[in-house]
Amino acid sequence: MPIKSYLAHSVIGKKEELMIALKSLDHCEVIPAKNQDVLALVTDTSNDKEEEILKEKIESISSLKLLSLVSGFNTPQN
Amino acid sequence: MYTSVTNRRNFIRKMAMLSAMTAAASMFPGILFASEQEERIPKDANLDWKKGPCRFCGVGCGILVGTENGKAVAVKGDPNSSVNKGLLCVKGYHQIMCIQSKDRLTHALVKKNGRYVKTPLDEALDIVATKMKDTIATHGKDAVAMYTSGQSTIPEGYVASKFMKGAIGTNNLDCNARLCMASAVTGFLTTFGADEPMGCYEDIDYADYFITWGNNMAEMHPVLFSRMLEQKTRRGAKIIDFATRTTRSSTASDRSILFEPQTDLAVANAICYEIIKNGWVNKSFVEKHCSFSKGVTNMGYGLEDNYKFTDKPEKIDFESYKEFLKEYSPEKVSKYSKVSVKDIKYLASIYGDPNKKVVSYWCMGMNQHTRGTWMNNLVYNIHLLTGKISQPGNGPFSLTGQPSACGTAREVGTFTHKLPKGVVTNEKHRKLAAKIWKVPYERIPSKPTYHATEMFRAVDRGEIKFIWTQATNPLVSLPKTSRYRPGMEKESCFVVVSDVFPTPTSDVADVILPASWHIEKSGLYGNSERRTQHWDKMIDGPGETKPDAWMFIEVAKRMGYGDLFPYSEENHVEEIYNEYRQFHEGAKHGMAPLEVLKKESGAIWPYVNGKSTQWRFNAKYDPACSNGEAFHFYGKPDGKAVIWQRPFEEAPEKPDQEYPFWLNTGRVIEHWHTGSMTRRIPVLHQAMPNAYVEFHPDDAKSLGIRNGENIKVTSRRGSCTLPASINERGLPTKGQVFVPFFDENMLINDVTLDAFCPISKEPDYKKCAVKVEKV
Amino acid sequence: MRKRLVIISLFIVMFITFIVIWNFSYQKGLEDAYIPVIDTPTGNFIPSESGVFKRFDNTDLDYSNMPVDENHQRTLKDYYDNRAYPGAPPSIPHPVAKERSYGGNTCIQCHQYGGFVEKFNAYAPITPHPEMVNCRQCHVTKNTNNTFTEFAFAKADPPSIGEGINNAMPGSPPMIPHQLQMRESCISCHAGPSAPEEIRVTHPERINCRQCHLPKNTELHKVDVSTFLRQFDKINEK
Repeated sequence: MPIKSYLAHSVIGKKEELMIALKSLDHCEVIPAKNQDVLALVTDTSNDKEEEILKEKIESISSLKLLSLVSGFNTPQN
Repeated sequence: MYTSVTNRRNFIRKMAMLSAMTAAASMFPGILFASEQEERIPKDANLDWKKGPCRFCGVGCGILVGTENGKAVAVKGDPNSSVNKGLLCVKGYHQIMCIQSKDRLTHALVKKNGRYVKTPLDEALDIVATKMKDTIATHGKDAVAMYTSGQSTIPEGYVASKFMKGAIGTNNLDCNARLCMASAVTGFLTTFGADEPMGCYEDIDYADYFITWGNNMAEMHPVLFSRMLEQKTRRGAKIIDFATRTTRSSTASDRSILFEPQTDLAVANAICYEIIKNGWVNKSFVEKHCSFSKGVTNMGYGLEDNYKFTDKPEKIDFESYKEFLKEYSPEKVSKYSKVSVKDIKYLASIYGDPNKKVVSYWCMGMNQHTRGTWMNNLVYNIHLLTGKISQPGNGPFSLTGQPSACGTAREVGTFTHKLPKGVVTNEKHRKLAAKIWKVPYERIPSKPTYHATEMFRAVDRGEIKFIWTQATNPLVSLPKTSRYRPGMEKESCFVVVSDVFPTPTSDVADVILPASWHIEKSGLYGNSERRTQHWDKMIDGPGETKPDAWMFIEVAKRMGYGDLFPYSEENHVEEIYNEYRQFHEGAKHGMAPLEVLKKESGAIWPYVNGKSTQWRFNAKYDPACSNGEAFHFYGKPDGKAVIWQRPFEEAPEKPDQEYPFWLNTGRVIEHWHTGSMTRRIPVLHQAMPNAYVEFHPDDAKSLGIRNGENIKVTSRRGSCTLPASINERGLPTKGQVFVPFFDENMLINDVTLDAFCPISKEPDYKKCAVKVEKV
Repeated sequence: MRKRLVIISLFIVMFITFIVIWNFSYQKGLEDAYIPVIDTPTGNFIPSESGVFKRFDNTDLDYSNMPVDENHQRTLKDYYDNRAYPGAPPSIPHPVAKERSYGGNTCIQCHQYGGFVEKFNAYAPITPHPEMVNCRQCHVTKNTNNTFTEFAFAKADPPSIGEGINNAMPGSPPMIPHQLQMRESCISCHAGPSAPEEIRVTHPERINCRQCHLPKNTELHKVDVSTFLRQFDKINEK
């Protein structure tokens, strides 16, 4: 059950749009920065496969400029 | 075991989020994250935050309500809401304090022998249902009426409409939004054929000029005004205040221009005159997207009972429109508008400059106007002639005063002539409603009956024998309450009032029903920018309080319409909304599904393919545009917006020898509408404990009036005594007095005139003639 | 002869130029010697309302970008120590530059826009009413610590501050615990390096202060409310 955190850099001025797009995805938790075009993003999925699909979905968002991984955790499934 | 796993996951998630934020902080020193606002809440408060829209004005700010042990204890702005981005006004921050007021209506009260007796809710609803049934049996369907509110939730308005029009079969349904938004509606319908603004609040981020027409936004729409001020300091955007009174907004704007009441009609025409004269017309836009019309003039003012009016639009051409405008040269207009020629030309030059983006804002100054529809048309004319419409930062924007004036009153259509989609006079619209409601279509009457003012006149005349009001306080908010209060007190009419607090309206009730407040029920509101917002019930209401929608359903069931209302008490909001959504399917008005609204801080309709449409009629943003051009005004059959030829006409009552002052009424930042909620919030009451009558210092000096002295304000209809206020909150022009209407102890609406716009039927609270004397 | 005439006329031209230039610069110098007097309230002006927005002009101070200098900040105690009672005009705690000078020439030079003063090792507090230039009508120097006779005036406690004291709910905006007359420009005392640290606002860029913060004790006149009395409570069953 991977939990990963990212910094999502939006295309300049499109932070709101990016936030709405990310919020509409399941397993995503977003906190926007108030004074930079950056959002802190945490994904919480139940397995690696799902994680991969979600990442693809996130990367296809047009208002996203750069997604950088900050940290990752994985808990054994039970 | 499961909880400990989820707790651990939660912990890891928090750690992950923290590490992301730390990383961000090392990359961007000084970065701030939205949720850090929470730090302002004391550490020991273990609060659970739930999202919703604010209870008060039509701006529709997102709020987060902090609850603890089943009680609401704190409010903050929702940083994720694009409306207010975490900021609220003083009313919003303290809204939940009113529900703890000791005089809260917690149980049904039934008047027996002149005394109110606490009655079980079931019994009270029995009484209401029986009375309604009996009245219909003896006096006919049109003897019962319902008067609802722009504060009713979308499901509440929908059930009210279905109950009155679909189940009972009468059009005797109107709402208090008639008193504040009706002219905006008819303005939109006559010009564009589709109600509600084309733009959205994001316009503020792009506009170079904000022109406010008779609108004190610093006090009435403070959160939007703060967004404007932010653009002013950041980008040098300019605010131009065009009004009849110097207000807090005037002092914050770059330029304040004052005009004589009612002459805004002439000034707007003069701006169009200048635009045409100087060749500032956007020719290709006008040719492709506009047509010209004129209507009936000298319409009267609706002062007499049973007044009827229908406009007869007539197509004209650009040349005759130009000819008509000759009467409105700045030189001629400045004589009676008291606006200098220079100022008129200045305003025109702002609209006329093709490189400047302009948004016009207005609210009650233009809507509560005996020529309100015309005035709305005229501002659209300016934007259409210059093609400054439906683009980011360019457009006319009509603001609303109630949280769901748009969502409920206008979209669900709790007006006598409206259906959830379309109007009762249209057979196709009646058939659609009948199909979704599952009622025979003949049951929905095709003729509108009473609009708000006429409804209370009919109560006074004895035609309406039963009236049920919800979430509104007409005996403070109607014009000329000096007539309508005795009218409501008459034995001939049985009055049912659903409310949260006792009000002067509940004083005349035969049955008082205890309603749930905002966060004590689930619901949906729709704000001025077409944003629909949902909230879940956050806390339990006291005593036997129930949501208004559920009380309608209970009464409908008791009257034998149970099969039309097959909703469950726990889940009725969701069930009703899903039924209602069917009315608006399609690209022109599609509503967001509930799952989306539960997750996000609102969505703007038309919601098409999972996306909000921020600018309607612009092909770049609006998928409903289908003519292949850049713009498509699809509300009209020919796809063209109408530029209306509307002349200047005098107000029905002007100051004269006997009554030498204009009376203007309005609001203050501390109180919202009739104050039944805000006056019960100690912070707000302490800052503004009572109403006052505002004078220009010169008038006060010549009358020998000093600050705080009691002044009797008298018109041909009634009088009201208030303390004088000089050089305090606002500054009316010479020859004008201003009184806020929130104070139920000083009913200024006993004095006001019930003249209304013949097209919209919205009364004019801003202009009548009064005399003042010291007492 | 012609040569001499040329030289004389040359000198005359030079002399005239000198006089013109000298006059011009003298006039300029005169202008600079005065801080322009700010318009006094007349016409379309609401004293109690206008002040809030007064100092947010593009030309005025940029409060949102002001530094916080922790080594030289005032405390609220210093602030109130300098006043005879809360709301009283503060006295002048430093020697004044020119005893006979008009405030517009002297005081205002530091107190209109503030700034660090080496001599006093402090930031000059910014006045909320720079348009009132007869400063020493209300503000006096403190030249002795003695009193004329024994003194029995008890200084009232200043309004208290802190979480939960002036705000009604957790996290809600605090209300204004002091009078506003002469102090309509909130930002003057609540932002910038001279603001007492306890009352420095976290968001000086918000501008419309009274959107969220209202005076706690209003100066509005209390009136008899008997003109319209609701009967509800009289007939309600308790």
